[in-house]
Amino acid sequence: MEMAGKVEGMLGPLAVLDSASKSFGDVLAVARLSLSIPGGEIYGLLGPNGAGKTTALRMLAGLLGPSLGSARVAGQDANTSAAKRRLGYLSGSTGLFGRLTPREVLDYFGQIHGLSRVEIGQRVAALAPALALEGILDRRCEALSTGERQRVSIARAVLHDPAVLILDEPTSGLDVLASRFMRDFIRAERARGKAVLFSTHYLAEAELLCDRIGFLHRGRLIAEGSPTEIRAQTGKSTLEEAFLALAQNAEETEDPGDLL
Amino acid sequence: MNLRHVFLTFGKELREALRDRRTLAIMILLPLVIYPLLSMLAAQVATGREKQREERPSTIALTGTGFDRDALATQILANPTLFVLLPSGTPADVEHGRLDLLVELAPNNGGKLTVLYDASRDESRTAEDRLDSVFAKSFPDGCAPTFSARKRSVAPQAVLGGYLLSKALPLFVVLMVLLGAFYPAIDVTAGERERGTLETVLCSPIQRFDLMLGKVLAVATLAALTGVLNLASMAITLMQILRLAAQNVVVDIPWGHALLSSLVIFPASLLFAAAFVALGATARTFKEAQTLLLPVYFLTVAPAMAGAIGEYPLAGIVAWIPGMNITLLARDLLVGRATWSGGLATMASILLLSVAALAAAARIYDSERLVAPPPRRQRAAGAPARTTSAGDALVLFALAFLLLYFVFLPIEQRHLASGLLVAEWVGLFGLVWLFGRTSGQTFKSALGYSRPRPRAVLGAALAGCSAWAAVAIFSEWVLPVPKQLLEELRKSLIPLDGSRGFVATLLLVAVTPAICEECLFRGPILHGLRTRLDSVAAVVITAALFGLFHMDVYRLIPTMMLGVLLGFIALESGSIVPAMVAHFCNNAMLVTLASLRLDRRLETLSHRTLTLIVIASIVLTTAGIALIRGARRRPEV
Repeated sequence: MEMAGKVEGMLGPLAVLDSASKSFGDVLAVARLSLSIPGGEIYGLLGPNGAGKTTALRMLAGLLGPSLGSARVAGQDANTSAAKRRLGYLSGSTGLFGRLTPREVLDYFGQIHGLSRVEIGQRVAALAPALALEGILDRRCEALSTGERQRVSIARAVLHDPAVLILDEPTSGLDVLASRFMRDFIRAERARGKAVLFSTHYLAEAELLCDRIGFLHRGRLIAEGSPTEIRAQTGKSTLEEAFLALAQNAEETEDPGDLL
Repeated sequence: MNLRHVFLTFGKELREALRDRRTLAIMILLPLVIYPLLSMLAAQVATGREKQREERPSTIALTGTGFDRDALATQILANPTLFVLLPSGTPADVEHGRLDLLVELAPNNGGKLTVLYDASRDESRTAEDRLDSVFAKSFPDGCAPTFSARKRSVAPQAVLGGYLLSKALPLFVVLMVLLGAFYPAIDVTAGERERGTLETVLCSPIQRFDLMLGKVLAVATLAALTGVLNLASMAITLMQILRLAAQNVVVDIPWGHALLSSLVIFPASLLFAAAFVALGATARTFKEAQTLLLPVYFLTVAPAMAGAIGEYPLAGIVAWIPGMNITLLARDLLVGRATWSGGLATMASILLLSVAALAAAARIYDSERLVAPPPRRQRAAGAPARTTSAGDALVLFALAFLLLYFVFLPIEQRHLASGLLVAEWVGLFGLVWLFGRTSGQTFKSALGYSRPRPRAVLGAALAGCSAWAAVAIFSEWVLPVPKQLLEELRKSLIPLDGSRGFVATLLLVAVTPAICEECLFRGPILHGLRTRLDSVAAVVITAALFGLFHMDVYRLIPTMMLGVLLGFIALESGSIVPAMVAHFCNNAMLVTLASLRLDRRLETLSHRTLTLIVIASIVLTTAGIALIRGARRRPEV
């Protein structure tokens, strides 16, 4: 079994949105969004509710096809099995089967990703101490706390050692300790050469964690760069102030007819 | 197809379902406590079949030379509407259904005769009753007959037991399998979406077809398990009853045949699981899935009931009607009359429909549709505050049906014309008007009214004037209406005795239904269902509801076929008016034909002529549809 996470030798960015637009009926959720995330980078997609963050992540996860443009994972169209095998996706909800135990959930997804029972056992044994799963592997998921479910979901997302991790608001609803645990985990994945893309509306968290940040406002990318670069561009001392300035500027200059 | 993924999903779904208390309660507890009751439809079918039997003369033969053979033959021949006297016959003829009754005259036996019949066949039992009445009329009151008759059924006790069981068991099988598939099908589709596990599954490298096949197999297994558990429970109950009533037992239960018959549980489970999973996949929530599946549940029960109650042979088109074919195959296996052709046609039909439902499920269970947020429509100035939903559509149908059954039908039974008028204008038109007023819409928007294009109206008129022939001939071929019922319908709706003029009849039978029925069915019902289903499914379900609304098993097929055509016309033209025109033309043609007594001539036409009429009808209807499609509004650039 070749682990998808072995990214050495792969050239170019691992997750790419190329002028991707997505509309639902007559509502434009994402407009001409271009992102490019190489291995070993944490990219934070920021924006208020309804900015189009989740839609952008879903296009990269192969759940939604772009209306225009393209989405690629590890060089493959995002909506192919080849791309999905190299992707770990953590949705806004934990996405666990409540009536199964974490061990059964991991076994199911591991086998869907082509791992053998032995490989799954080895991976679970390796992940359990890192994600503090030892005491909960054989309890039903519906009986777990929010933090425990989130840790099981992370294990599910990284079980097959994917090259790209997409995390939709991974710290939402978590307490301080669990949030910190999550941030440490994301950093560890970066250190292993993974491309990590995550969405959040906690600006302080993004500042702590991200190598690069993209600001989404009404479906458009209004700024991109490292936290330091963005503060410098706007002349503001915090990311929050920078974002407010960028959003205001975008409101004033936006031409609806220019979106697509 | 990746079989490993299919079985992984199958195992995962099964494990989840068996850990769910609601599934277990429905699968095990509920069936042990409650068995469904037969409804009005069952009684109607039974009555219809009884009338058909009454119209058919029984075949009878006399053997032997004892008693006064000539006198008996004269009495039988004096009743040509009741009997056809055949020159010869044997007990084997009665046993195999070639003869209804055999009277054996014993020579030199003091006027004794033996009447042989088959108690497991309705026709044979009817013949035996008729012979009794002939005998009774032969002798004046107070006079004793000069002979004694001994009756003997040729049906073995086990066959009779099978016959009695065949009236109940097949329907129970279908009902239990349906019940067993119902909740798990919703749980693995809408339930998955509601629990938030859908995204996780759809972004993993599993093909949608494999995923849905695993789900369908898991639901089918649970449905089959429910069926088997219920049958086991029934069998144990039956054995207990037989043990307690051992002294009075008059029938044997053919356990071998019953076991063989119960094997239909498995194909039935596959079919219902695939159909329910496909429907469940369209729903956004658990509740919505329940609302969608309930009508389909009852739609499937209806033909199954018809199969259980009526004495239909498992052949021709009947072998392809889901629900009905399963019931009939189970019945035939029980009474030992199953044929290879009927069995194979049933299996082929189940397999084809299951694969079609599975393919539809895989197509529907698409993240693009399920994960995307519902489109937010921007309301134009002056547009209604809300539109009709699928739930509104089903509630409206239920209200209209209840009003018809409990309020207007009793009026119709007293005075047909005024009852019909009130039922249509108040129960349908009034209901839609009230719905429009109370739901924040205008009456026009509730109807989906827009000004039609003249070409669409012309096309609808052509389709309405021509489709009746194909519909009538096809329906007569599939499920012929007993002549007596047809005559009653003709007399009541289109009296030829001058009691109602042609124009008044047209207003009552063509204009009124065209306006009022279209207002409800191709108005809010079709448009409401269309918000959740694709065009074909919405049109077919609306047509099925339209057929059921007429509450007549013999008119179910023609009204459904007409409903499909009208729904298609309404959607293609983007207006309800062409559907009204087509409905009017269809009914007006039937009234005109009946008034000119031309409809009776149809019955005398040759097979070849009828085929030509059907072809002409289809060609003209297609031309009408082409005109409507040609008139379709194109989106503005």
